[in-house]
Amino acid sequence: MVDFDVPEVDYTRYTNRQLAAVPLAVLAVALLIIAGWTVATGVPVDRGIDFTGGTELRLGEVPAPDDGGRADIREAFSASPESIQYVGTTGLYVVTFDDEVRASQLDTEANEAGFSVESQDTVSGNFGDDSQLLALGGVAVAFVGMSVLVFAMFRTFVPSIAVVISAFSDIVIPVALMNVLGIELTLGTVAALLMLIGYSVDSDILLNNHILRRSGDFYESTYRAMRTGVTMTLTSISAMIVMTIVASLVGIELLSSIGIVLVFGLATDLMNTYMLNLSLLRWYKFEGVAR
Amino acid sequence: MVDLRANWRVILLVVMLLVSTFALFSPTMAPEAAAEDQATNLVYGLQLSGGTRIRAPLEGYVAAGVDVPTNPDAQERLEERIADSLNGTFPTDVQARPQGTYGASGPGTVEVTDPNVTREGFTAALDAADVAYDDGEVYRGVSDQTREETVQVLRNKVNQAGLSGGSVQSVSVATAQEFFILIEVPGEDRSDVVDLIEDRGTVRIDVGPVMQNGSLSRERRRAVLSQDDFRDIGTATESQQSSGYYVPVSIRDSVAPGFQQTMVDTGVAGPGGSRCAVRDNDWRNASDPCLLLVVNDEIVNAFGMDDGLAADMRNGDWAQNPRFRLTTGNFSSAQEIAINLRAGALPAKLDLTGPDGGTSSFISASQGESFKQNSLITGLIAVLAVSGVVFLRYREVRVAAPMIVTALSEVVILLGFAAAIGYPLNLSVIAGFIAVIGTGVDDLIIIADEVMAQGEVRSRKVFQSRFRKAFWVIGAAAATTIIAMSPLAVLSLGDLQGFAIFTILGVLVGVLLTRPAYGDILRALLTDDR
Repeated sequence: MVDFDVPEVDYTRYTNRQLAAVPLAVLAVALLIIAGWTVATGVPVDRGIDFTGGTELRLGEVPAPDDGGRADIREAFSASPESIQYVGTTGLYVVTFDDEVRASQLDTEANEAGFSVESQDTVSGNFGDDSQLLALGGVAVAFVGMSVLVFAMFRTFVPSIAVVISAFSDIVIPVALMNVLGIELTLGTVAALLMLIGYSVDSDILLNNHILRRSGDFYESTYRAMRTGVTMTLTSISAMIVMTIVASLVGIELLSSIGIVLVFGLATDLMNTYMLNLSLLRWYKFEGVAR
Repeated sequence: MVDLRANWRVILLVVMLLVSTFALFSPTMAPEAAAEDQATNLVYGLQLSGGTRIRAPLEGYVAAGVDVPTNPDAQERLEERIADSLNGTFPTDVQARPQGTYGASGPGTVEVTDPNVTREGFTAALDAADVAYDDGEVYRGVSDQTREETVQVLRNKVNQAGLSGGSVQSVSVATAQEFFILIEVPGEDRSDVVDLIEDRGTVRIDVGPVMQNGSLSRERRRAVLSQDDFRDIGTATESQQSSGYYVPVSIRDSVAPGFQQTMVDTGVAGPGGSRCAVRDNDWRNASDPCLLLVVNDEIVNAFGMDDGLAADMRNGDWAQNPRFRLTTGNFSSAQEIAINLRAGALPAKLDLTGPDGGTSSFISASQGESFKQNSLITGLIAVLAVSGVVFLRYREVRVAAPMIVTALSEVVILLGFAAAIGYPLNLSVIAGFIAVIGTGVDDLIIIADEVMAQGEVRSRKVFQSRFRKAFWVIGAAAATTIIAMSPLAVLSLGDLQGFAIFTILGVLVGVLLTRPAYGDILRALLTDDR
């Protein structure tokens, strides 16, 4: 049987600077990627049809990719598809078009080609813009709300800002990874980013709580918080990995995109909580308070 | 003997589970929308049952804060003046209303619902008609009344087409003064639904039976009025003078004298008017000549004419002010007459194609079914993964098994809640359930670790103090999750609202119900003194 226990890290071997350097460097790289992406494409992250507008069709009764299914699809529509994806387990193709194309025309052309339209989603361009504004506003409000709450709970600057910075990094790094891996921003990924705000703060609060509000040695408190926190995060990660794999096998994009972003975010959170947040807390506990 | 008082949290959880199970499975709680053959009372959204959803704005422009005369005649002249300066717009596409109807701004509104009219065209027409308006108060969209009428007409269409479970409603966007019409029709293709919405019938008014040479014949005179002859078709209104309801109608000046003459000739406007008592739904059996409202070549209503109106027609006064009221006994039939007169045409058009248009989605029944099964499988496998990790970590069934059971009971309670209020389940709600299991187990891990830390838990006192410490963290974590999710629960960002609502509910159920109960269970298992 696999032995699963959280190992004890000997933090005394590393200075605060060393500990904080790694997550801060990763955060800097992520911000650079996002900045570069904004310069190159005009938007910080590629957007899906929820935000750009467009149509997504799920087509059945199309030959398999090996039998020229993709070519058949290109031929059937007068507009050229933006992407064609084949979902093996269901035998369906997911085809997307930009928002210049009319849904009724796609309907007709699909039927003429003998494909069955299993699902169809159309979002108009300006509606997508509105959604994007709403979504960004929602993420911003959620983040500010969380920060205010954290400050209200701990009432001291350094531990609170440590939580806020690592939550910020927990969102920024997955967004950069989405760019690198070509995952589009959809309503599902926005939901995942919002969920990250809630999820990632859990382990930070746990760590702060153990170190600040409990008596006992700093390293002992840290280890106890880690035991619990790492178990929590690993449990969530394993659930999300499984959900991502299963959902993408059966072609439920909403669930798989929520899953993958959460996996990125939670993995980032492990690093941020136990390196960045911890180093800030240790500085605060041993040097900051003394000042 | 188990102490009931000490374990009240567990008992409360069990009671809630029973209530949820009842809501889920009891046939007495079955919602109307649920299909007969379903095992549970859950209502599935279109994503999981198949069907079409269209969400689109209504086309038109409204000028608010306009001084509109209260005299109906002056209103119509105003509407006509505006329509005249718009190329090809019928007066029926222009509405002037004296009361503030768009948002909070008053006192009156003028709107145009012809989709070909631009904002510039509309303001130019207002200028040409000498209407004073504030340029900042000209909005895209339609007035509240027009929107309600449109919803009414669409509902009628969906019902008349026999599409069961279809719904039409008006939804607003929280951030802006923007409204959408949301149409959901289970089991239908997008193209069928669009055809139904855009379908426009023909409407005319016939007279039958007509008077010929002083006696009632069995003839009918067709098309004494046709669609284009109406200047204005009002909305169903309650009568001030008598009981009953009516639809005010006015006729174009150019056709009014001809119509008046026809009424006199056919005997509808005979001395004393006509009573139009129709027997056996056949106009041929009527005692007097009747006005017949014909929609798509089918007679849908018959009207007589009262004494005063008939007298005005005979002496020629009526054509000076060509309007009459179609009166009926109750509101719903008055509403239906108004809808019929418009031949099922929408008071304002849905913008289905433009860049400002809304969204539409269609999911076939088989795709919905496979989404349903696959998302269930996904959820179950996620639960198995969580269980696996928890077992590996604790190696103790006493701790881990209640953890899984408790987390699952949160989902049961949420499902029961969804069934009780008839909330339609979609993929996003299922994602919310998975999120709830995730946060739920996280918090149970905090409790278990805290309680079992620093050696054995012998006494209840030690247990209580440790449990309370754990609860501070859980409460803080729950509060942040609720804060993070609340924007989504309020914003109308499509399906994500359901996701956020159920995540928040799940967290609340967890903090208030299941996690305290888990504490009790753990205590019973770990402590010696009961």
